[in-house]
Amino acid sequence: MTEMPSGDVLAVRELRAGYGRRVVLENISMTLAPGDWYVLLGPNGCGKSTLLDCVASRLVAGGGEITIAGFSLSQNPREAKLRLGYACAPDTLPALLTARQCLEVHAGAKGLSAIAGDLLALAEELRFTPYLESFVDTLSLGTRQKLAVLLALVGEPLLVVLDEAFNGLDPASGLILKRHLRARLDRGGGAVLLATHSLDIVEHYADRAAVLIDGRLKREWQQDEIRRLRASHGDFEAALAQSIQP
Amino acid sequence: MSALLNWFGVKSSRLTGAPRLMTAYLINGNRAAWQRPVALVLGLSCLLVLVLLYLEREWVLRIVAWLRHQILTASVLTIIASAVATARRRVRKRAEFARSWLAALPVQAGIAVWEARLLELLPAAAALAALTGIFLAVAAMAPFTAGRGSGSALTVWVSMSGGVIVGAIASYGLRGPKPVDLPPGSRYVPHGRIRAAAALRPSLQALGVWPLRLMFARAQPKIVARAILPILVMMPIGTSAAAALSIIAIYVVAGALLLLMPAAIAVSGLSVRWMAPLPVRGFTVTRAVLIPTIVAIVGAGAAEGMFLFVIGVSLRAAATAALCIAGAGSLVTMTAARLWRARLPAGSRA
Repeated sequence: MTEMPSGDVLAVRELRAGYGRRVVLENISMTLAPGDWYVLLGPNGCGKSTLLDCVASRLVAGGGEITIAGFSLSQNPREAKLRLGYACAPDTLPALLTARQCLEVHAGAKGLSAIAGDLLALAEELRFTPYLESFVDTLSLGTRQKLAVLLALVGEPLLVVLDEAFNGLDPASGLILKRHLRARLDRGGGAVLLATHSLDIVEHYADRAAVLIDGRLKREWQQDEIRRLRASHGDFEAALAQSIQP
Repeated sequence: MSALLNWFGVKSSRLTGAPRLMTAYLINGNRAAWQRPVALVLGLSCLLVLVLLYLEREWVLRIVAWLRHQILTASVLTIIASAVATARRRVRKRAEFARSWLAALPVQAGIAVWEARLLELLPAAAALAALTGIFLAVAAMAPFTAGRGSGSALTVWVSMSGGVIVGAIASYGLRGPKPVDLPPGSRYVPHGRIRAAAALRPSLQALGVWPLRLMFARAQPKIVARAILPILVMMPIGTSAAAALSIIAIYVVAGALLLLMPAAIAVSGLSVRWMAPLPVRGFTVTRAVLIPTIVAIVGAGAAEGMFLFVIGVSLRAAATAALCIAGAGSLVTMTAARLWRARLPAGSRA
């Protein structure tokens, strides 16, 4: 694991982003403290993936600032990216490389001398190891998703950014991954930023959550609020939906 | 197809029962922004062809006269080409449609048939249009050639156009080739023995093999075979085996280069985008992608020079050709990769 920061793992300040003239995100500010599992909720097209793309520097923000473990993504991108792990969409993985080569390239780009045993153990647990020598274009959607998540975890980054990373995973693999991420955070290992529609993750694993609507953060739940929701309502999903109402 | 529909002023509402044509029409509408420059380039190209035909009118008349003498062969060949091309397109289009997002839509049987026919016969229609265009161009030269060749041109046009039509119709009586289920590209990529027990070694090296693999994936065995066949046919009788093999090798290496260069350009952009969240500079990624490609281009240049020397080209000319191929190929690939890389991850301007 990269050295733990004393401050926030991720700080987003007054972020503004979009495509061409179309503004997708407006005045987004958020912070992730060490140990946080932060879930971004929201309807389709509300800007969740755009926000994650900005954090993963796949999209240049039009305004505002993003810092990862205190390093500005615009001014000190190398140091910031050394502490970042991003799970790309499975269909953007290079079709003609093998899974092993994808892992080697990611590890090489992060300047690692070897891949941690922890990650290889996770690959084994996810029953991914037999696919290491397979070309990406021969892998199923779920297996590609596993590869994307494993790539995000190469180098034990402080901040793990996952965009709908549980889509396509079988329930057993999904559970293994959720438990792995939770255990990683409980050991004091950085933070997770996840965009998803699965409320069960908020119910069982997340520390904080927020709902993004029309490019703005409309509502944020802190850890104690989520605990209260878990404790006081039998139907967490309905309670969460009710909380979103104005 | 959609351009053709627009040309005839077909309204989208008339196509609602024909989903494939409707889709083509709508896609065409979405592309309107860049259609104007394409139309301009096409128009200018046609004008250039007309000017060339006019400047070389004596040659054109000779070709027309030669075709007039060989009219039976030309017609038969046209029929065969039209029949084979239409049959292949029919099989491919049907296979594509079976997998397409429109496959499950309810379409009236009659409409489905004419919709499929329109799509399948499009190249034949394009060939007819091209032949007619050429005939009109040759006919327009009549005042400058004292009417020589007009009769021959008309005969050639009627025979070859008839050949295209007969071939296209006859193709529906032929049994089409076996439908090809498009395989994953990696099926054609040669790869070494599996190192199942080997440890993972962090490195950017794999990026370098990506363009080479893309080249192999695009150069499918069928395509290579089809490309080599005309070269063999064109070989003059009496060519020695060594010369024939060298000539084939020259074409194969040139073909490989033509596939490798765009593959490297595409991969340099894709890899930069894939690796944007990683702590590595775009330049480093592009370098890792391009170095093996540049080595391959230089090697291909040397091989071309060697093969040219074998078929009797002077050492000096062969060496010059090798240097030109290596230099121009490398330069074009690097420049295009740089431009492509700059273009891909467009930043937000919001």
